[in-house]
Amino acid sequence: MATAGSTTGADAHGALRQRKSKPSEPGREPVEQFFQDKPKTVIGEYYRDEDDISLDTVEKYVVPMLFTILSFVTRMYRIGISDIVTWDEAHFGKFGSHYLKREFYFDVHPPLGKMLVGLSGYLCGYNGSFEFKSGDHYPEDVNYTFMRIFNATFGALCVPVAYYTAKSLKFSTLATWLVTLMVLCENSYATISRFILLDSMLMLFTFTSFLGLAKFHEWRRHPFTSGWWFWLTFTGVNIGCVTSVKWVGMLTTALVGIYTIHDLWDKFGDLKMPVVTYAKHWISRIVCLIILPLTIYLACFKIHFLILENSGPGDAQMSSLFQANLRNSDLTKGPLDVAIGSKFTLKNMGYGGGLLHSHVQTFPEGSEQQQVTCYHHKDSNNEWVFYPIRGSPEYDPNDSEIRFIESGDAIRLIHENTGRNLHSHVMPAPITKDQNEVSCYGNLTVGDDKDNWIIEIVSDTAHSDNRVHTLTSSLRFRHQVLGCYLRAANVNLPPWGFKQVEVTCDKTNNPRDRFTHWNVEMHVNPRLPQGDAKAYKSPFLRDFVHLNVAMMTSNNALVPDPDKRDELASRPWQWPVLNVGLRMCGWSNDIVKYYLLGNPFVVWGSTASVAMLAIVTFVYLCRWQRKYVDMTPDEVSHFIYSGLYPALGWGLHYFPFILMARVTYVHHYLPALYFAIMTFGFLFDFGTRKLSWWARYLAYLLAYAAVIGVFALYSPISFGIIGNHENYDYLNWLSTWTI
Amino acid sequence: MAPKAPTPEKGGKKTKQQSSASAGPVSSAPAPDTSTVKAEEVDDSSGPIYLVAKPLTPAEARREEIYYNVALFVITILSFFTRFYMLFHPDQVVFDEVHFGKFASYYLQGTYFFDVHPPFGKLLFALVGWLVGYDGAFLFDNIGDGYTHNKVPYLAYRALPALLGSLTVPVVFLTMKHSGYSLAACLVSAALVLFDNGHITQTRLILLDATLIFSMSCALYSYVKFMRYRNSPFSQKWWQWLLLTGLALACTISTKYVGAFTFFTIGLAVIIDLWNLLDIDNGLSLKQFAQHFFARAFALIAMPFMIYLFFFQVHFWVLNKSGPGDDFMSPEFQETLGDNELALLAKPINYYDTIAIKHKDTGAYLHSHSDRYPLRYDDGRISSQGQQVTGYPHKDANNNWVILPAAGFPENDRLGHPVNGGDIVQLYHVVTGTYLLTHDVASPYYPTNQEFTTVSPEDAAGPRHNDTLFEIRLSNGKKEQFRTKGGLFKLIHFPTKVAMWTHTKPLPDWAYRQQEVNGNKNAQQLSNTWLVDEIVDLKDDRMKVEKKKVKQLPFMKKWLELQIAMFRHNNALTSSHPYASLPPEWPFMLRGVSFWTQNDTRSQIYLVGNPLGWWFATSCLAVLSGVFVADQLTRRRRYYVLAENVRTRLYNSAGFFLLAWAAHYFPFYIMGRQLFLHHYLPAHLTSALVAGALLDFFYGNPGVFPVAYQAAAAASTKAAAKKGQVVESVVHRLQPPTMYPPSSLISYAVSGVIIGLIFGVYWFFKPFTYGDPGLSVPEVLMRKWMNFDLHFAK
Repeated sequence: MATAGSTTGADAHGALRQRKSKPSEPGREPVEQFFQDKPKTVIGEYYRDEDDISLDTVEKYVVPMLFTILSFVTRMYRIGISDIVTWDEAHFGKFGSHYLKREFYFDVHPPLGKMLVGLSGYLCGYNGSFEFKSGDHYPEDVNYTFMRIFNATFGALCVPVAYYTAKSLKFSTLATWLVTLMVLCENSYATISRFILLDSMLMLFTFTSFLGLAKFHEWRRHPFTSGWWFWLTFTGVNIGCVTSVKWVGMLTTALVGIYTIHDLWDKFGDLKMPVVTYAKHWISRIVCLIILPLTIYLACFKIHFLILENSGPGDAQMSSLFQANLRNSDLTKGPLDVAIGSKFTLKNMGYGGGLLHSHVQTFPEGSEQQQVTCYHHKDSNNEWVFYPIRGSPEYDPNDSEIRFIESGDAIRLIHENTGRNLHSHVMPAPITKDQNEVSCYGNLTVGDDKDNWIIEIVSDTAHSDNRVHTLTSSLRFRHQVLGCYLRAANVNLPPWGFKQVEVTCDKTNNPRDRFTHWNVEMHVNPRLPQGDAKAYKSPFLRDFVHLNVAMMTSNNALVPDPDKRDELASRPWQWPVLNVGLRMCGWSNDIVKYYLLGNPFVVWGSTASVAMLAIVTFVYLCRWQRKYVDMTPDEVSHFIYSGLYPALGWGLHYFPFILMARVTYVHHYLPALYFAIMTFGFLFDFGTRKLSWWARYLAYLLAYAAVIGVFALYSPISFGIIGNHENYDYLNWLSTWTI
Repeated sequence: MAPKAPTPEKGGKKTKQQSSASAGPVSSAPAPDTSTVKAEEVDDSSGPIYLVAKPLTPAEARREEIYYNVALFVITILSFFTRFYMLFHPDQVVFDEVHFGKFASYYLQGTYFFDVHPPFGKLLFALVGWLVGYDGAFLFDNIGDGYTHNKVPYLAYRALPALLGSLTVPVVFLTMKHSGYSLAACLVSAALVLFDNGHITQTRLILLDATLIFSMSCALYSYVKFMRYRNSPFSQKWWQWLLLTGLALACTISTKYVGAFTFFTIGLAVIIDLWNLLDIDNGLSLKQFAQHFFARAFALIAMPFMIYLFFFQVHFWVLNKSGPGDDFMSPEFQETLGDNELALLAKPINYYDTIAIKHKDTGAYLHSHSDRYPLRYDDGRISSQGQQVTGYPHKDANNNWVILPAAGFPENDRLGHPVNGGDIVQLYHVVTGTYLLTHDVASPYYPTNQEFTTVSPEDAAGPRHNDTLFEIRLSNGKKEQFRTKGGLFKLIHFPTKVAMWTHTKPLPDWAYRQQEVNGNKNAQQLSNTWLVDEIVDLKDDRMKVEKKKVKQLPFMKKWLELQIAMFRHNNALTSSHPYASLPPEWPFMLRGVSFWTQNDTRSQIYLVGNPLGWWFATSCLAVLSGVFVADQLTRRRRYYVLAENVRTRLYNSAGFFLLAWAAHYFPFYIMGRQLFLHHYLPAHLTSALVAGALLDFFYGNPGVFPVAYQAAAAASTKAAAKKGQVVESVVHRLQPPTMYPPSSLISYAVSGVIIGLIFGVYWFFKPFTYGDPGLSVPEVLMRKWMNFDLHFAK
């Protein structure tokens, strides 16, 4: 306990010590009084009532148990009554099926949550054959109830976590109950936890990360003890998990990061701390909060790759070598050497690169010729054929002589489906204006020199001859006339290009630019012997980065289309004011309907508390600047760590969505709401701390009653609306709600 | 609020070279300390030191003043020379002159136009045009159009930005001078702007940036001046510079909205200043603090806002005729413009009028003919087989509809009843004698949208009556009289609440490839808007075209409407441009913008900052940030490397410049719109200030001279009185500070080298700045630094 003398709380007030002391005045106590060596009390005892303590032991065990039971009841009551695929079950159920079928698929979210969905299917003996079409009825052999219960367990566990977090934040017992009750009786939590979605997992891991942080803060005066290590590791594991479920987990990680920097900055100013101890603090955090979560994230992807060993719908997102190693992939049979007349697909080798693609639609601007793009799905429009350039001997399939293609050869690429030549000309590309547009133009006979491309082999992982080989050769395509290089760099086209990736001709010659590197992926040439591509392995880390870049590219393409209003999407400003809800399924009378809407009391109350906390903080800061002493250092510390940090968590989980160009939905607010609830609990506690006991009890009782009452009122939207929705019109408190 | 004790003197000033060993505690706290505090005091005692240089004698101060003035004179002359040199070349429309020259012409002609920038900068050009008596006939349609044969007074136009651009340089110099920097530092800052090819290029042409940069630099300068009077609040000079700051801010934001960054810079500095004033050690009562607060709120928020509004008022006064910007505005707004079609032709609509209804976006008329929908569409869905209702772009008798009330008027009292917004009406198709209707049958193309058709009078009176009812919902939400032309409305089906809608995809041959009309369930969409094009066969007295008086609309209403349209439009400016660039490239001057080329002389104007100047300024930003980080880290460990007053100067002055740079640079990162290199110019100016400040920090005189005027405060007066000296009346008498730190030789040497190099690079890139002379291929290639995409390189 070398550092016990300098607490974090006292340090936050370090500046006070350097201030001029003032003669004592009424209402303004001298600052130093608080720095005298009072017996150090555990923070929070200020907040504990005398009569609570006698019941402490009972409360400690009975109440969380009770809450947990209630939580399981609210999350699982009537969980199986709707036997149709609801909301995004259509996606996540399907992804779970892919794990059971072990087929490679692609999605924008990291794999942990979906692997857990897959696990739930595995546990109930589901074979992965169901399509999970939105609105379909579940067949007999899918035990969807079990799968939902598995998910709801994560949702239910959120409630005890909230309880223990509030305890660790040193809320009074009454406030702890209030916070737990608010999480328990939050309709949106209860609703979204009931389905096969990732949100319940995301919520649980977010909550546990914050629990870990709160617990770790509790242990801060006992560094390097087993408890301290446990909670630090616990936090690290959980931020690893939350990030592996959805990328928004990064926001939770940011909260932990800010706390850690704040903490280390405090310790940096502690001159009594030996440098070695300080270095140990750094190293412990680097190991537990950076390396450990990263390892978990990587491990999730490793397992993901290990499970999904068969070829599936997501193949095309990955590098050709990776695909060649999937079972049943059609890549392995391609002939080794590429010749004139070979039919092939061309894969961009940059991270997240797709297949060279063309389709009959034309560019709406520029040359208005046929579009050439990069596409991430297998499709016959990805197929091209090597043809000799005009003026050299024509290609004749019956000719016995096979002309292999070598580095430096000039060839044409003909799009198999439309018969047009890959073409470039001096015309700015649609998005990247300083590069040339690439289009498809003419046909076998119509065209000019601008259809000619010169192949350059950059490297070959397995062969050293000058020939172009399937999979292993990295190629560049130089335009014969313009000297520019064929390039695709993850820039999404507008809706007219179906959000596919722009293909350009880059005027600069940069041999190390991997976005100008291509390899032959699928290769068909009946005149050549089959090769064996299994021999080439693809390193894990490269696949990992590749997949993550591909996820990011697809995520960036999920922008709202201004021409098409998505009825279900909503704007971030609507969430804290609960301006909007979400119909999770069809709205006809014969199906059980669910409506995703927060408990109005909880949402409005928590939003108001965040605003209120900002005002309260401002007032206290001004008073502090006027040298009023309103709080003891311990109270200041409590205010910062139990009040401002949850509010910061709310901000971190909310404001990034405003800046995001992506489509946003109501359920994106759920993690932020949790931090707002914690803020509410703190502020309620803070506001009632000086009331007489009966007034406090009355205030809390009213709050409990309001939370439970509103939840009960709105319980139909969580437990399922059966029958005509018009019977529930009375729930539409705002005209924008559509129950 | 308890009364305050008088402020204890903060840290006695120690003379130079105070050693840490010999010095006692700096802050001599009078009150008895508790043990903890004492320990801290001992800890701190090795800390803060003050450096105070020997004050200048009056003769020295006079000499310094002369040096500064001579330097100011020289750079001002140079500045005018660099900006006005060859101003007549080229006599063609260059780059964005195409926009701003055109706007000036619109002002001169008084025709209404729409632009995303606020009016001040453009009004100035119009003022110049008006002063030289130009009529605004030339509309600057294409880049490269000749000025001379179009008789455009382009020299006068360009003289305005050149003048403002020239004046920016002395303002930079004075900002540095009044911040208390040595002559060498002032010269470096001024030279970075003076010899900057980017500033010169951008401020020689008919563009808004000269106005913007000049106003912005004036705002910084005024605020620096204002802070010099901080010890005599509410004095005349204090008010003067505070109000001038507000005025300069208003001009900045009224030129371009990036002026908001200047507001942010000064706003943040003011908040920090106020926060320190709130500290009770400053001895202000809450009332005094409130005075400080409201003085700034008035001068820096309320007054600039009024000025900003005033420019819009001028904008509306000048633009009183209909013009190309009409379509951006609402019909009410358009009716305030002279010779606007809407104002002339809009007529009130009565029941039983025969009208033609036109779709606003596609311009198609609501049309019906006796053909019916086919029973079965190609995709297998079936229709009601009712009469077709389509959109048809040409005038035709089949576009005529009679507007009827839901419950008819008596036979003898049908004329003269006005239709109002919100009324429930029926529409009667004249040629086929049927009533418009929509019902829950899918439309030909949209399974989600309702089919529109017509039914016979019997049905319309009987079983289908409800389905023939529509609400006229005016776009402005009012219940006022329904009018032709201006009365934009949505036709909402009364029972099902769908809105009548049409789109451009033509129906198959069975409908003669006319447009589909259907019921859109998303009634909110703007594309549901229709208007009544005309009243057919108008016979009564409404027929007379009376010369209507141009309507008036309250200013605030006009302004709000325009403001919202401007923001909406600004966010939509996302299309790409070959020379657009991204913020990370700017500080490193990686790539310029091609403004103008001329093939026969091989000359070109290429906007490029002085690369050396930009790199130097950018590295100064990095070094200063490094100094701040190092200072924070060492102080945290209780090492006090910097003298306390040197540090204060560094944070309050150089830190302010760094803040200004960050505020004028980083917001561009989150801006979605198209960006160009010239957006960095305001930030470059602030980085030049940082460069000068840093030069002084490293090479300047180690002493710090007070910059603020010292008010003879009551306390010191008392002290003087005690000593038996004669006390003058010193309420607001200011003692001039000694603010001229003589430059050290080394700082002169360093700044000389820097300025020389910068001038050399300026000279080297001069042909691109003035568009003359043309260069040969090797000469162009020699200047092709970084990623400059110059013309005539081959």
